[in-house]
Amino acid sequence: MANTFRNISAIAGKELRSYFASPVAWVMMGLFALIFGYFFVSYLTYFVRQSMQSQFGGGPQSMNINMELIRPLLSNASVLVLFLLPMVTMRTYSEEKRSGTIELLLTSPLTDFEIIAGKFLGTVGLYAALLVVTALYVAILFWFGRPEWRPLVAGYLGLLLLGSCFIAIGLFISSMTKNQMVAGAATFVVALLFWVISWFSESVGPTTSQVLSYLSITEHFDDFAKGVIDTKHVIYYLSFISFGLFLTLKSVDSERWRG
Amino acid sequence: MIEVQHLTKRYGPVTAVDDVTFRVEKGEILGFLGPNGAGKTTTMRVLTGFMPATDGKAFVAGYDVFAQPIEAKRRTGYLPESPPLYPDMTVREYLAFVARIKFGRAMSPAERRQRVDQAMHKTHVDDMAGRHCGKLSKGYRQRVGLAQAIIHDPEVLILDEPTAGLDPKQIIETRDLIRSLAGDHTIVLSTHILPEVAQTCQRVVIINKGKVVAVDTPENLTHQRKGSATLYVQVDGNGNAMDSLTRVPGVRRVTVADRHASFTGFEIEAEANRDVRRDVARAVVDSGFGLLELRPMRMSLEEIFLQLTTEEQTQEAANG
Repeated sequence: MANTFRNISAIAGKELRSYFASPVAWVMMGLFALIFGYFFVSYLTYFVRQSMQSQFGGGPQSMNINMELIRPLLSNASVLVLFLLPMVTMRTYSEEKRSGTIELLLTSPLTDFEIIAGKFLGTVGLYAALLVVTALYVAILFWFGRPEWRPLVAGYLGLLLLGSCFIAIGLFISSMTKNQMVAGAATFVVALLFWVISWFSESVGPTTSQVLSYLSITEHFDDFAKGVIDTKHVIYYLSFISFGLFLTLKSVDSERWRG
Repeated sequence: MIEVQHLTKRYGPVTAVDDVTFRVEKGEILGFLGPNGAGKTTTMRVLTGFMPATDGKAFVAGYDVFAQPIEAKRRTGYLPESPPLYPDMTVREYLAFVARIKFGRAMSPAERRQRVDQAMHKTHVDDMAGRHCGKLSKGYRQRVGLAQAIIHDPEVLILDEPTAGLDPKQIIETRDLIRSLAGDHTIVLSTHILPEVAQTCQRVVIINKGKVVAVDTPENLTHQRKGSATLYVQVDGNGNAMDSLTRVPGVRRVTVADRHASFTGFEIEAEANRDVRRDVARAVVDSGFGLLELRPMRMSLEEIFLQLTTEEQTQEAANG
């Protein structure tokens, strides 16, 4: 058991280091910070204008920064994640296959599960670092106002879970191909599909509609963005991730047999 | 130390390795010889647990590589055809990572550092410790690959074409290194360069189209294939010695092997189990020629190899 943890952390550490040793992590962080900053500024200006109006124009009610600013901000961040993470995950397996380092991993005394879990956690680590960068913007709000921190934590937990689902999909797809471009594009499309799957729900029967909206990654994120941690959604995300990792395990195993 | 029994590997309709059986004793260096595509790499990949076999068994250090892969892998060092390096890591970082995943036990940073230093020292890559793996020359890449394979002091070393792509000086260094590792480690190395086998290995497995065609020591292989004993005799003068050589009792046939202005070389085929060397020497000297060279002819490994691998083909052609 101790061995399993040690092996997983060795692989995860290696993944993280290789992200930060190459431009991948820095470029992602830069892009993410740039676009998130743009969202942040535009929502903040809008929020400030609105609250000015409601103060001087005698608006109906006081404005809530959590509902009016943070919630849409995090929802937008989740779209950003959809675009950026496939570019991170596309190399996880493909690169090892292309460069032959997969031979090192598969001939070391590691189980497939340890390799996959390590890769997954390493990538989640990079993603968490991206989220920390965005948290710096949100921290500015605490400087000038008093947003509630609990819903914020819920929102970030939601983002982390949502992104981890994309990473699990990405890992699975990357394990099937040597070609990074194929891995990246396919991951993006599959993730997008889970994103928009609930759009059909209006044009189909009630049961199918329920199933579709349950499958949708976005539907489950909504509550987190509002600041609610519902176990239903946590379970959805965790089972999504487990299923993704399970498929990766099967794909790596079958790859072995095919040679 | 290594035992392979009836190993077969098929990729769909293609049989890459067909019923291969051999064993390697402790401390021995075994050469795995065959043309490209003969199944060398596949056999090694099965031995290292990279891929499962379709049929047959393989044991490394007493552990079944299919049933107890973790135990077997812990005792195996493997250098694939292209060294599995991470270009973004420095040599030291890389070896530390490999140490972390190979040992499968808790290890203090000091011990890990010591292991890394040892491996770098043995393979002479100390001076590149801080260099990124992606920026190494081919020779250094290969050596870091070797360092990676020996870092956990495995009982078994499996090296897939360890000298491929190196310059002659590096080849000699690598061979010396491999020879120095034998004894502590049991080594299987593959190659398609024949002199390498003669110089490094104690035993040779020749494999062609997935089948083992010969297993023996390089010396025995070069001796036995020629059938009856054949001598090479070099005599000064221009071929007049022919008659006196033919008259030597026990000699079946004499042919001129090479003719030069000042000397002539003969190939003498003797009757089986008859040593005619003394009589031949006397005959040459008695006829008044100078004896420049007299040696038993051995087939070079190249010839044996070609003979073995083409025999197969002609048989196949006959069958097909």
